Amino acid sequence: MQQLRHKQPTATRREFLAGAAIFALATGLPVPAMAAAPSPRIALLLKTVAQIVIPRSDTPGAGDVGVGAFLSLAFAHGMEGAQGYDLWLDQELNRRAGRDFLALPPAQRVKILGQLDAEAFPAGPPPAVPSPWVAIKALILTGYYTSEAGASKELQYNLIPGRWDADIPLKPGARAYSSDWTAVEFG
Amino acid sequence: MMEYEFDAIVVGSGITGGWAAKELTEAGLKVLMIERGREIVHGDYPREMKAPWELPFRGRGDTQRYKRDHAVQMLNRHFTEWTEDHFVNDRENPYELGADSAFTWFRSYQLGGKSLTWGRQCYRWSDYDFGANARDGMGTDWPIRYADIAPWYDKVERFIGVSGAAEGLAALPDGQFQPPFALNAVEKSVREKVSAQWPDRRLTIGRTANLTQAKEEEGRAPCQSRDICNRGCSFGAYFSTQSSTLPAATKTGRLTVITDAQVEKVDYDPATRRVTGVRWVNTKTRERKSATARIVFLNAGAFNSVHLMINSANEAMPGGLANSSGVLGTHIMDHANTLSAVALMPGFEGRTSFGNRPTGVVIPRFRNLDKADGDGFTRGYSFQGGALQSGWGRGKKQAGIGADFKRDLRGPGAWRMVLVAFAESLPRASNRLTLSKQVDPLGVPQLEIHFAHGAGELAALADAKREAGAMLTAAGGQVLFGMDRPGPGGTAIHEMGGARMGHDPKTSVLNKWSQAHDVANLFVTDGAQMASSACQNPSLTYMALTARAVDHAVGLIKAGAI
Repeated sequence: MQQLRHKQPTATRREFLAGAAIFALATGLPVPAMAAAPSPRIALLLKTVAQIVIPRSDTPGAGDVGVGAFLSLAFAHGMEGAQGYDLWLDQELNRRAGRDFLALPPAQRVKILGQLDAEAFPAGPPPAVPSPWVAIKALILTGYYTSEAGASKELQYNLIPGRWDADIPLKPGARAYSSDWTAVEFG
Repeated sequence: MMEYEFDAIVVGSGITGGWAAKELTEAGLKVLMIERGREIVHGDYPREMKAPWELPFRGRGDTQRYKRDHAVQMLNRHFTEWTEDHFVNDRENPYELGADSAFTWFRSYQLGGKSLTWGRQCYRWSDYDFGANARDGMGTDWPIRYADIAPWYDKVERFIGVSGAAEGLAALPDGQFQPPFALNAVEKSVREKVSAQWPDRRLTIGRTANLTQAKEEEGRAPCQSRDICNRGCSFGAYFSTQSSTLPAATKTGRLTVITDAQVEKVDYDPATRRVTGVRWVNTKTRERKSATARIVFLNAGAFNSVHLMINSANEAMPGGLANSSGVLGTHIMDHANTLSAVALMPGFEGRTSFGNRPTGVVIPRFRNLDKADGDGFTRGYSFQGGALQSGWGRGKKQAGIGADFKRDLRGPGAWRMVLVAFAESLPRASNRLTLSKQVDPLGVPQLEIHFAHGAGELAALADAKREAGAMLTAAGGQVLFGMDRPGPGGTAIHEMGGARMGHDPKTSVLNKWSQAHDVANLFVTDGAQMASSACQNPSLTYMALTARAVDHAVGLIKAGAI
C-alpha cells in the first residue's frame, strides 16, 4: 500500500504565512493541516466569499448557513486536496484588490471574485493545473448544498422516496433533489 | 471415531458464508460460523437515516483520517462518511503488493461481510462462460456447465429476491425474477436505437437483489428507492446476510456465530487426510481458541480463503492446505473496469424521474459469442451504467458565481448517459497470491498480491470504448469523453480465483463440487473457486455454487462418506 502513503513534511507557522502553502501548491507537496481555528479575518473572508458565490435569494446564502466554518474545517482536513487554501485565497484576493479585499465595496469584491472564477474556468478544455479556486468553489457548493437550507429549501431532500417513477414530466421551475445521490456524485 | 463439537464450521459470514450456514443448518447440521469482524445486528445501521448536515464532514468524511486509516478503501466510490464503518481500516489490515503490481483490495470485515456493501447485481453465467477456458485454451476447463448450476440459480434467486426483465439472451440467461425497475426516458430510447442498429445488442435493466415485491415470510419490505444500500437497509429490501440468510439459519436453532475471531489455521489430520476443525484468535482479547467439526467450509472471501489455506500448511502439506497441485494462490482475476463513455443526451429536457433507482442498466456481452469478432481479445465485456440528470455537483465544473449561478443550479441538469465496461479477466499463473515476509498486527504473515491486467483485457477495453461511443452517438448522444485504460486490479471488486475448480487434481485445487481434491471434507465456495471470470458480476454464481456444494456435502455425510 506504499502507493498511497503521503509524505507529511513539516513547516512552521511562520513559513506557512511566508508562503509555504503557495510553494506547496506549486510543487504538489501536501502541507500539514493547521489545526488552530482560523483567525477572525480569515473566518470573515471565507464567509464573505461563500456568500458572493451563493448569495441570499428566497433562500439563505452560503455565508448565512455556515459555509465559512465548513470551509475552515475542509481546509484543515484537506478535503478536495485544499489543505491551506484559505491562506492562498486571502493573498490572491488581496493581490488582485491591490489592498485588503475585505475593505473593498461589495460590488468590487464581486467583480474581483468573478474574474478569478472566470480565469479558473476558461472556455475549452480545463487547464492541466487547476487554479486552487476550483477546489475552493467545489467546497463552497458542497458546504451549501449539503446544509439543511441548501439541501432541503433551495433544493428538495427526500430520504425515503418510497417509489420509482421512471419517466414523468419535468415541471418548469422544479427544484432538483439533493438526495439524488447518483446525480450528485456524477455531477 | 472422533467426537466433533460441530457438524460443520463455516469460515466467514458474507454472501457465501451466510448461504453455507443457511443451507447446512436447514439440512439439520449443527454449524459454527466464524467471522473475523465485529457483530452488526440487522437494523442497527446508525448512519442509515442521517442527512448530510447531521454528519461533521457532510457525508464526504475526514480526508485526513481517511488517508491515514483507509488509504485504499477511500478510493472506493462507495466508501463515504455514511458507510466508512462497513469497510476495513487499512492500517490495521495491511497487505503487500508484488513488483509491478497494482491492486486496490476493498474489504468489509464484519458480520455480513461484503453482503452489506455489495453492488447487488445478479447475473447468470452461460455456457459461453463455463466453456471459455476450453475454447481458447487459457486456464483449465470448468468441470461444470450451465445445466449443472441452473437449478441452483433458480433456488438462490427465489430466496434472495432478484428483480429484472427476461430478455431471452443466450449470453445472459434469464432467471427467477421479481418485476423489474423501469428504464427512464433516455434509457428506453437508447435501448430502441441500439437494438435497431445492432440486433445482437440489448440494453436492459440491471438485475438486482433489491426487492420490488415484499417477501413477507422473511420480514423483508420492498425497496424504498433510496439507493443508499451500503449504509445498511433496515427495510431488508436488498439481500444481505443480515436481511436474508442469517435469519433463516438462526431460525433452525442449529447455528452458533462467533465474531471478532480471525481464523489462523485449518487443522489437518494426515492419518485420516481430513481437516478436523479450525483455530482462531480473538482480535480484541488476543485469546486463542479452536473448535472441531466434521466438515469445513471456507467462505472468507476469495483472497482470504486462499490466504488461510496457505497459512494452514502443515508437515504433510508444506505448500499449503490441499495444494498438491501447486496452483493454490495462482490465476487470480478481477474484471478490467473502466468508464467507456459519457455522453450528453439532448432531446429529453422535459422529462425527469422520481426516486432513486437502486440499479442501472446493462448491455450484455455481444463479442466473441458464436463468431470470433474480438480485435485482439478472445473473451467478452459488458456494459453497466445508465442515464441520469446531473445535480448541483455540475456547478463544480462550470464558471459562474452569484444569483444567476444559484438559480441555474436549482433545477436538474442535462441528461447524461454513462457506460462502464467490465471486461473478462483471463486466468494467468503470474497473477497470484503469496505470503509476504511482513506480518499483520496479530503476527500473521500478510498476503502479497501480484497482479497486472494483460493485453487481452486492454484490447477488450479499447473495443468497449469504441463501441460505447458508437452506440451513444447512434442514439443521438454527444460523447464527452471515454477511457480505455482499466483502473488498478481490484477496481471492479470482483477479485476471484486462487483455488480453482477443475477436472484434474494435478492442475486444480477443487473438484466440481467445490470440494478439495486432496481433502474430502474441505469445501471452498467463495470466489476463490473460480476457474475463469466471465464478465458478469460473480456473486450470484458464488451463491449458487455454495448451495450446490452444501447439497453434495450433506449427501456425502448421509452416505457416511465424510
